[in-house]
Amino acid sequence: MTTHENGRRFEQELAALVKEVDGLLVLRAPRPGFLRDAPSKGRALREGERCGELEVLGTLTKLVVPAGVAGLVVDENEHRKLARKPVGYGDVIAVIDPKAVAGGVSASAGASAAATSGGLVWKTPLGGRYYGRPSPNAEPFVKVGDVIKTGQTVALIEVMKTFNRASYGGAGLPPEARVERVLVKEGDDVNAGDAILALAPL
Amino acid sequence: MPAGSFHRLFVANRGEVAARIARACDQLGITPVFGVSEADAHAPYTEGRETVLLGPGRAAQSYLDPMRVVQAAKQARCSALHPGWGFLSENPVLAAMCEQHGITFVGPPAQAMALMGKKTPAKDTARRAGLTLIPGSNGVLADVAAAREAAERTGFPVLFKAESGGGGRGMRIARHIDEVERAFTDASAEAIAAFGDGRVYMEKLLEGGRHVEIQVLADRYGHVVHVGERDCTVQRNHQKLIEESPSPVLSPEERERTFAAAIRCTQQIGYVGAGTMEFLLDASGSAGDFTKGTLRFMEMNTRLQVEHPVSEMRSGLDLMSEMIRVCAGHRLAITQDRIALRGHVIECRINAEDPSDGFRPSPGEITRFVLPDAEGGEVRVDTHVASGYVVPPFYDSLICKVIVRADTRELAIERMERALRSMVVEGVKTTIPMHLAILASDAFRTNRYDTRAIPGWPA
Repeated sequence: MTTHENGRRFEQELAALVKEVDGLLVLRAPRPGFLRDAPSKGRALREGERCGELEVLGTLTKLVVPAGVAGLVVDENEHRKLARKPVGYGDVIAVIDPKAVAGGVSASAGASAAATSGGLVWKTPLGGRYYGRPSPNAEPFVKVGDVIKTGQTVALIEVMKTFNRASYGGAGLPPEARVERVLVKEGDDVNAGDAILALAPL
Repeated sequence: MPAGSFHRLFVANRGEVAARIARACDQLGITPVFGVSEADAHAPYTEGRETVLLGPGRAAQSYLDPMRVVQAAKQARCSALHPGWGFLSENPVLAAMCEQHGITFVGPPAQAMALMGKKTPAKDTARRAGLTLIPGSNGVLADVAAAREAAERTGFPVLFKAESGGGGRGMRIARHIDEVERAFTDASAEAIAAFGDGRVYMEKLLEGGRHVEIQVLADRYGHVVHVGERDCTVQRNHQKLIEESPSPVLSPEERERTFAAAIRCTQQIGYVGAGTMEFLLDASGSAGDFTKGTLRFMEMNTRLQVEHPVSEMRSGLDLMSEMIRVCAGHRLAITQDRIALRGHVIECRINAEDPSDGFRPSPGEITRFVLPDAEGGEVRVDTHVASGYVVPPFYDSLICKVIVRADTRELAIERMERALRSMVVEGVKTTIPMHLAILASDAFRTNRYDTRAIPGWPA
């Protein structure tokens, strides 16, 4: 999608990555490229606003503030004044204080943590990529409301290009339980021990 | 490094591959810059090296994205890019993109790569150079009638294969004339679904051959040498486990004949750098006696391969450094008559998998990693692993390669057994027990095996 802005031609638009550190939001580069026009200290930024441009192999990508992020820039990219600063994936574009503007941060991480706190969960024994169904067009292994039993396959975990079946069961889990929520998305990367299913005892 | 070389070289790969490329750079006085994913950002092999973070752990958003890789090489001010093996190493788009952006791709020209990447053009080229092919159709088949005609002329069983195929898809076997129509149409339909190209060609199905390959090296000025063959018959699901050189069963006449044709073929396509021609050693015409078998061309890998140290150990050459030199425009430093292939070399690939549990991947932290004794340079280990290294779940499971050289095959097997027994890998399961079982087996020691089963290991 090509757009024009202030006489500049952008081949595409990408949201900056965002990471929360000590209550501040760090905007980071989504891919390698030459960064230009990163926001300066004191600027107010809101969701969807331009927060720099990234030159990738001679074409320009417009970087925008991701959804749910707003605030005042309290720290800037250390080389902001360079015309073209090479950045790698995850390099800092700007640091935002969300409390410095009314209506600061909205929802970000934490939703799944809340759902799992204190409740019964099934954790994956393997780290890798999570799939909830045997093939892209098949029915999922488990749906919310299903009752699952020990030994039943509940997920596929792709490890080193190999698909491994992961089955329900383990220390501290009842032989049967009802699925309350699936805590990860299809294709998410998970670590061994991550909570995958929120459960309720029967 | 003499004048006219690279100062900074971008390493578009990870792990053991990146470590090997960097070692050659160090020797040549080139500064390597690693493109790394988030999962590898703090791996021990990147310590003290310049790196550019490409993206998250998932390869599609890091090592497999040519835009990210070339942009990273450009902003790191590299004048060359080495793709290693795997990932984008056989992607002509990456080679072309490098060329467009003023970066020398350390590999063959994009057009040679594209030519050998297509099935029937590659076979035609090989046939014209005098290599023997697997009998079959002349190129793609127009319709069922042409398929029947070709199958009858070749003799059953036959295998229909997708022209744009790979990974075993778009392939169907016909064992009788009545099965041809079904096999042809099924292969074509599957090829359309998987690759968007329904063109199909046919080959005789040769069961129970051995896998033998020839290493070649070429400069820009038409000079080509071979560095001997490698026998990679010990495989599991087309993944090589053990490679050795020389092949213990190949006849001297067949070897010399194929070396000469492989060199002609490499010259004719204008190849530059290191490459490998893969052959099926077929003994179906000699009652299973491989010493009377024929080497039939399968494909050319337009890159350096995982198992290149086998040829390095046997020839004393540094293929990685030579490849970088010739791609920088230098002439080959050696001629064929000065390459001496000495003794017998064996390589075992050690993977983080549990061979006793269906080769289940075993990622995680390697708590202790101790290398075997080098035995005066006759034992070599290529690895990116050190104690405390965490094997990430995103990539393949190779943790190291152990390569040994000795005067005879028997002595090489003995040396390999000693090396594997003295190695320590704690924290993850490895395929070392499988290798020891193979090396100890009668089938392996007396050469009674082919690619269908692992010698000395239950199927």
